[in-house]
Amino acid sequence: MGQQARADDELLHAPLVIEYGFNRTTGPVVGAFLTGLREQRVLGIRGADGRVVCPPVEYDPTTGEPLTEMVEVGTEGTITSWSWVPGDREGQPIPAPYALALVRLDGADTAMLHVVDAGSPDAVATGDRVRIRWADERSGSITDIACFEPVGGAS
Amino acid sequence: MGANRVAVIGTGQTKYTAVRGDVSMPGLIREAAYRAVEDAGLTMADIDAVVIGKAPDFFEGMMMPETYLAEALGCVGKPLFRVHTAGSVGGSTAIVAASHVEAGVHERVLTIGWQQQSVSEAMWALSFPIPFQQQLVAGAGGYFAPFIREYMRRSNAPDDTGILVALKDRLNALKNPYAHLHEPEITYDSIKESFMLWEPIRYSETCPSSDGAFAMVLGSEAAAAQAQADTGIPPAWVLGTSMRSEPATAHGRDQITPQAGKDCAADVYRQAGISDPLEDVDMVEMYVPFSWYEPMWLENLGFAPEGEGWRLTEDGTTQMDGRLPVNCSGGVLSTNPIGASGMIRFGEAAMQVRGTAGDHQIDGVRKAVGHAYGGAAQFFAMWVVGSDRP
Repeated sequence: MGQQARADDELLHAPLVIEYGFNRTTGPVVGAFLTGLREQRVLGIRGADGRVVCPPVEYDPTTGEPLTEMVEVGTEGTITSWSWVPGDREGQPIPAPYALALVRLDGADTAMLHVVDAGSPDAVATGDRVRIRWADERSGSITDIACFEPVGGAS
Repeated sequence: MGANRVAVIGTGQTKYTAVRGDVSMPGLIREAAYRAVEDAGLTMADIDAVVIGKAPDFFEGMMMPETYLAEALGCVGKPLFRVHTAGSVGGSTAIVAASHVEAGVHERVLTIGWQQQSVSEAMWALSFPIPFQQQLVAGAGGYFAPFIREYMRRSNAPDDTGILVALKDRLNALKNPYAHLHEPEITYDSIKESFMLWEPIRYSETCPSSDGAFAMVLGSEAAAAQAQADTGIPPAWVLGTSMRSEPATAHGRDQITPQAGKDCAADVYRQAGISDPLEDVDMVEMYVPFSWYEPMWLENLGFAPEGEGWRLTEDGTTQMDGRLPVNCSGGVLSTNPIGASGMIRFGEAAMQVRGTAGDHQIDGVRKAVGHAYGGAAQFFAMWVVGSDRP
């Protein structure tokens, strides 16, 4: 005699935690960008059409050709769009509500997504000027940029 | 095969090594891709679509790498597809690429298989304990070892067949500058004395972990004619392709000689007009990650009756100068970037037909077989390539 399948509340459940310390090879372009952050410098790369992509890419987004001309861009930039994150959750990038914003650094033609410590959604707007706040300890990671802050200080 | 003829018109590969620390993953893949395109006398602008494959994402911890490879592979504005069928993926990826040409959708398709095993550990990726599932805590070698033992029992093969396979493949690798392992000092005795990993598999009878990529350009009949005119290198015509799958665990399943492997071989031979594989096929690149899989697959693929495959290894048939050379490139036993390994088998078969295999070239190859398997010996991919237009 076969048995009937069990009802759902009788079935076993168990968590699955997957952890492994992967290695990464950054290559010559992304590696240079990350090393620059450690030294408080931000590097982009000049594309085939002359525009500067930041963070830099190894291959031209249009032609696919290898790119080699690293360009230092500014540590201040302009917000091109943003969203307010009102939460106060463990593990968030800064210990306060913040803006997730696209920031186009001076000298770059593309924007990067990062955190703006603006204090309040009333204090952030597209077109606002922001500057990098560097992390005290830097290791060659995008989080070497702790966040951006409004130029002139948070209102 | 489909309505339209398809041929391999270019191949390219990286040097295989334990760690390619100097390049990013896109940089590694691009190296093989551009070499294949150049070998076909083309530029990336001539490529209509790109089909890529690699083994499980846990191998690199890079989920869906295809999403950021378009510019590295010259694929901006073109279709980009990814295939995944475990260890057989390199073979099935090439077959998917070929199908686009057969179907008449594209004229020239670039296909690439790769793996960067140095960023993770395949043993771990295959072995983390998933609750309530059968555990593969042994890694691949430990998983397959009991089946090899059973093969030895059934076939009464001599204990040293595996040693002979490993010695052959590692010596063949010395003729292939791209092979990962170059061990000029290797001998029968050094293999025999290497430590036992999973009986009967010794350290020197198992594959390495490699970084690397292999790429091919597949073209239509018109593309093949153009490539031959431009490069002087003949195409390798795809005479048949086949894939088969079966469950990992099933009552009545014979994991020593899986039905899916037999069916895959029968299907591809029928397409290619092969009635007697040992007679009709000039060389084989088969997926042998552990030495004993040479005799096992010789039987599964119909090159020898059941229980007799080991005789072809022992009597020298599978040597470079034998009647049926097997793995002239050095095989998976010498080079194993898992996601590329199947495509290396398919591509090396094509190189032999095109006459571009260099020091490990066999003279006068007219029909060659590429073979790959994956999972729990449950996914099979094969093709036959030849010098005569079908």
